[in-house]
Amino acid sequence: MLSRKDKLFFMSLLPLSLSLLAILIISIAVIGIRSIDSISFFGPKLYTMNVWDPEAEVYGLLAPIAGSIVTSVIAILTASFFSIPLTITIAEYLKGSTKNIVSSIVELMGGLPTIIYAVWASQYLVLFLKQYVMDPLHSYLSFIPLFSCKPVTGFSVLAAGISIGISITPYVTALILEAYQSIPSTYREACYGIGATRYESIKILLSLARPAIIAALVLGFARSLGETTIAVTTIGNSMNLNLCLFSPSYTVSALIASQFANAYLYPYAESVLYAGMLILVIISILLSLYGSTTIIRWRSRVIV
Amino acid sequence: MYNWRKLIDKLFTYIVIAVSIVAISPVIHLIITVLLNGTMVIVKTGINFFISLPPTPFSKDFGGIAPAIVGSLLMTFISLPITIVLGLFAAILTTEFPKNTISIVIDTIAKSLASIPTIAVSMIVYTIIVVPMKSFSALAGSIALTIVSLPYAYTYFSTTLRSVPFTYREAAFSIAMSRWSTVLKILIPVARRGIATAILMTLARILGETAALLFTAGRFRNGVTISPLAPADAIPLLIFDFVLSPYEIWRQVAWGASALLLLSYMIIFFAVKFLVKEVKL
Repeated sequence: MLSRKDKLFFMSLLPLSLSLLAILIISIAVIGIRSIDSISFFGPKLYTMNVWDPEAEVYGLLAPIAGSIVTSVIAILTASFFSIPLTITIAEYLKGSTKNIVSSIVELMGGLPTIIYAVWASQYLVLFLKQYVMDPLHSYLSFIPLFSCKPVTGFSVLAAGISIGISITPYVTALILEAYQSIPSTYREACYGIGATRYESIKILLSLARPAIIAALVLGFARSLGETTIAVTTIGNSMNLNLCLFSPSYTVSALIASQFANAYLYPYAESVLYAGMLILVIISILLSLYGSTTIIRWRSRVIV
Repeated sequence: MYNWRKLIDKLFTYIVIAVSIVAISPVIHLIITVLLNGTMVIVKTGINFFISLPPTPFSKDFGGIAPAIVGSLLMTFISLPITIVLGLFAAILTTEFPKNTISIVIDTIAKSLASIPTIAVSMIVYTIIVVPMKSFSALAGSIALTIVSLPYAYTYFSTTLRSVPFTYREAAFSIAMSRWSTVLKILIPVARRGIATAILMTLARILGETAALLFTAGRFRNGVTISPLAPADAIPLLIFDFVLSPYEIWRQVAWGASALLLLSYMIIFFAVKFLVKEVKL
């Protein structure tokens, strides 16, 4: 029980601290209220059809929602491909000042404004990917539906996914590295004690950290779902829905970034965009709560 | 058998290190190209880059990004103090009363808020500020920036305050200091480097944020204004609009602005590194 003085101290802190709560409630309420119009008018068709025709007042958000998910899946595959080796290198192979430099570079990458990634990706990475990844894949493997269409400009789902993946790599790396380094050294000693090579002990330690790694990837997925600037500058912005990764498409946030400014001209357009965002916000919040609680639970189990 | 295992071990080491180099190389390429392309533009325009208006698509010289610089500074100036105060109060509450239900709720909420896409924040502020005021404004932009950076500021501050050993609090209570003066005279001074780091990291986040400004700040580039109620521009917003434009001259200006933004971010980053390194010593 708090004493009277403690209570006073608590009360003096409370009003400003509740700003976070107020912001969350207002945010969800605003997005929810603004999307009611379109959801009640179009019904579930809003999420299962694929059209963007303000003149005819027909909307369906299937392509951007699918685009968001596919882009984020590619992003998280890219990020895991980079961040797990990066974690191992930093934690196992580097020492002293090289370790400092490499982990500083990762930290530097992590805080870099996303608009700078967007500039770089749209001016260099997209062309690089078209030339060295998309064109070869298309010419040799075009029988696979994913690679079936010809990459025209390079601005595509694949380009956006990889660009976002590069930008979230440092975030995912930091999470995995923190988990990996917090594994007590007794496990490693046990591995070496039975004569395991470094590779074998890393394999065992990684399997021990697996829940935390999966949680880190879930958090990275949630972050890439909401990524806007990189998506809008690399995805090509077109209301496309097909299996091919080389065709331009939309993510929900890219659609909003490019259509919201003119949406007030049409009766339902704004509300439709809010409805798209509602889905994204709900998914992001749920995933990030799942991810962070999983990591906390894992830590309390492994670190005794 | 023994050699086989050694071979796999070696092979694994090389693959892991090779992939790590590939993972690091994009950012090195990025920094070099942005700085090269951007500083060329800035050097060519000289001081004009900081004091002139942006070019029209068909003008001959680059002009400058004065409205964006002033707008960015103005919005940072408004939102940074608000963010710091709100974040610090919440952090003090949750570190001083870690077991309280309200603290746990605030902690969870900070995590959820950080996961809301920043463009959603822009739409929310558009509805509750821009529409009622009937105009885009630097104020709306600042509010959006505050909402975006508050959960991060809270996390930075609470990590710092939590790292102060409990013995300091015990010492303060034993000489009958009140809880407020313990916080103000002991905790914050002890954690001052951490606090400075947290403030710098919040600043970096505010300076680089783009999506939150899309539908809030407006894009006023025809002059310089410091009124918070007037539409304003920001450096990331200008880059965003110019980089995909079909006009070569606008793309050049975008490179210049990116280099400026990258340089300011790197200065903040190295200041943080300097501060944190000192703490470890």
